[in-house]
Amino acid sequence: MPDGVATPPLEERPLAPEEVGVDLPFTAAEAAAEEGQAVFWIFVVAGLVFLVAGWLLPWFVELTSNGVGFSPQDAVSSAPTGIGTVLVYVIGVAMVANIAGAISDVLAVHWHIGRPWRMERTRAVLALAGAISAFSIWVLIGVYREEDLFGHLSAFASADGAIWMTLTGMLVLALAHGFREQVARHPDQFFAGVFLLFGALVPVIFGNQQATEVLTWAAGAAAVYTLLALGLNVVVGFAGLLDLGYAAFFAIGAYTAGSMASPRHGLHIPFWVIVFVAVAVAALFGAVLGAPTLRLRGDYLAIVTLGFGEIIPNAAQNNLFSQTGGPNGITGIRHPDIFGFNFGQNPRYYYWSLLFVIVLVILAFSNLQRSRLGRAWVAIREDEIAAAATGINTVSTKLLAFAIGASVSGLAGSFYGAQLGVVTPEDFEFAVSVTALTTVVLGGLGSNTGAALGGILVSFIIFWVLPHLQEWMTTVGQTTGITSLGTINYSTYTYIVYGLILISIMLLRPGGLLPSKARKVELQAGHESESLAAVQGVV
Amino acid sequence: MSPILEVRSITKRFGGLLAVHDVDFTVEQGSITAMIGPNGAGKTTAFNCVTGLYPVTAGDIVFEGHSIVGLPPHRIAREGITRTFQNIRLFSFMTATDNVMVGEHCRMKSGVFGSMLRLPRQRHEEREVEGRAVNALRTLGLERFADVYARNLPYGLQRRLEIARALASGPRLLLLDEPAAGLNPQEKVELMGLISRMREGGLTIFLIEHDMRLVMGISDRVVVLDHGEKIADGAPVDVRNNQRVIEAYLGAGATTAGVSA
Repeated sequence: MPDGVATPPLEERPLAPEEVGVDLPFTAAEAAAEEGQAVFWIFVVAGLVFLVAGWLLPWFVELTSNGVGFSPQDAVSSAPTGIGTVLVYVIGVAMVANIAGAISDVLAVHWHIGRPWRMERTRAVLALAGAISAFSIWVLIGVYREEDLFGHLSAFASADGAIWMTLTGMLVLALAHGFREQVARHPDQFFAGVFLLFGALVPVIFGNQQATEVLTWAAGAAAVYTLLALGLNVVVGFAGLLDLGYAAFFAIGAYTAGSMASPRHGLHIPFWVIVFVAVAVAALFGAVLGAPTLRLRGDYLAIVTLGFGEIIPNAAQNNLFSQTGGPNGITGIRHPDIFGFNFGQNPRYYYWSLLFVIVLVILAFSNLQRSRLGRAWVAIREDEIAAAATGINTVSTKLLAFAIGASVSGLAGSFYGAQLGVVTPEDFEFAVSVTALTTVVLGGLGSNTGAALGGILVSFIIFWVLPHLQEWMTTVGQTTGITSLGTINYSTYTYIVYGLILISIMLLRPGGLLPSKARKVELQAGHESESLAAVQGVV
Repeated sequence: MSPILEVRSITKRFGGLLAVHDVDFTVEQGSITAMIGPNGAGKTTAFNCVTGLYPVTAGDIVFEGHSIVGLPPHRIAREGITRTFQNIRLFSFMTATDNVMVGEHCRMKSGVFGSMLRLPRQRHEEREVEGRAVNALRTLGLERFADVYARNLPYGLQRRLEIARALASGPRLLLLDEPAAGLNPQEKVELMGLISRMREGGLTIFLIEHDMRLVMGISDRVVVLDHGEKIADGAPVDVRNNQRVIEAYLGAGATTAGVSA
């Protein structure tokens, strides 16, 4: 185009009908800023939850499990006089400042008032100071009790759990505030870092043995679902292929790894090699099962994948080729070991391994999203015909989405089987596919951090909150004097509660917790009529 | 001049409908060739056959000396034929830059693992392609809108962005399906300038257009379709005075002006 060609000003652009009244970002920079803002808010909320929970936890643990109740408040009496008191006040001030700051942030955004950067710096400093003080108190208590600090780490008392949670809340708040711009620029990387750092400490929050076991078990389940969410997000979120049979690949990974590690074949391959085989087999099946769906889109595709999701567990149930063990599944799966150390039944080692794997997956997928392949997926999701005419091999690109999504599912499956020592067909029912899809949609389609958050949130609701509802409500009832709270049989209402939680989250954030930059979603847009398959179907 | 594209008696049948029937024409290397015809004449169907979106029922299409019939659309794009669409088909939730970068997809080499690990070679390629995309936007006067989502661009600029995307893979034959549809007079003049400029750059252009001033002004050769059949083929002046063409546009009897109904 010659220089000086007058381009019409942007104000004159005609508004698309669907655009009127919809607040959509105009440029990618705006969208990225919004996304970063959302990640920032999630950190602020998470930090606040940890802070408050840290203060409430000791009281709670004392009531529920006769543990030694101990909170930062108690430090006044138990820590050396003077210093302890001062530190508690510092913590108190920092906490108040943080909470006030976070609330004022919410209001400022709500009323469209900008916040001066200087204030954020101040709050970051305050939060860091609070975190450091909390850490100091923790050390002081250790010294006061004349216990070895590092020996102490392995046998956490509930008091330490409380202080740890306060500390985590402070640190997350401080990080979110202090690195707001960086968070906005690299949300996935930031999330992965915070996730690894603090997630790794989850199995050591509670001193109480039983509570620890339960929490770590729930965290392990959450980690498995987080992996499923990340993998399914590639298929549904990136490439826009609605998959209702995702549990099939989870099953394939679990069965592959399980049968290789069980005595039935007499193989003695290390678990860490088996994992790669399971990933490869799941990826292969992803491509094989994906192939017949290539000409289908939207609802039609979903029905076919639904079929696969039913075929795989049923084939396993029927002892396919005498390899799957029928309804009993595969038993006697060896637990993994690393450098001669066996993981055994202890859930925390599986959880830690999964955590590490999840972080790697988030980083890899984040890179993938910003690559040639990531663009091709979005292009196919947006307009398959244009993508094909532009030079994208739609067949291989879609198959790659299926294969990569399935491989992560296979990875999750191999860990799942290794931890339980047994895989049975009913572990891979339709409900698993639905839960995985729920986590992705709730977290925010097309966003890695969103999918991971959805996975964590939904599985903690399912595996931790709902089973504990009775116990917690009884405790609250006893404490507050409203004993009738504890007399309700909550197990009857768990699915109502679950449903209500899901509905309220989706009402509050219709695009998911962390929707991807481009919010146009295969599930919402009715472009099926324009699909290549539809065009060729006429032939 | 030698033909870059030879369409040899292609037929495209949709069930009982004969959309294109035994049509053949050639597009000369370095020329601007236009295809005109009344609505429903089968022009876009012919385009879809050339770009591989529709499999042809019969006939052969030869590009640069070898047959491209039966190749999938992305292979044809890689061979050197890209196109724009009558109803703009941009990737609406991708930025202008990303749209052009998708255009380079088939020329890029980085694979899955290289992208996952962000290997130096992949990063280098990404930077290079992004640089080229921004340059392409600059030459089309879209530089200011590099970061704007395609759906938010004004209509005329969307048409231009679609051309930029089609040019990104370095084609030798560019198919434009009604590039002037919906443009205002000034934009049409700009478009004519752009098309001539692209031809001067060595690109062969084959376009469908209803705007006769544009067609007659820039084309070297005009192919006329009606009811799926070729009724005329030649220089713009000859086609303009061709009796069958006038009949096709104005109805039978227009030439004999009421002498016989």
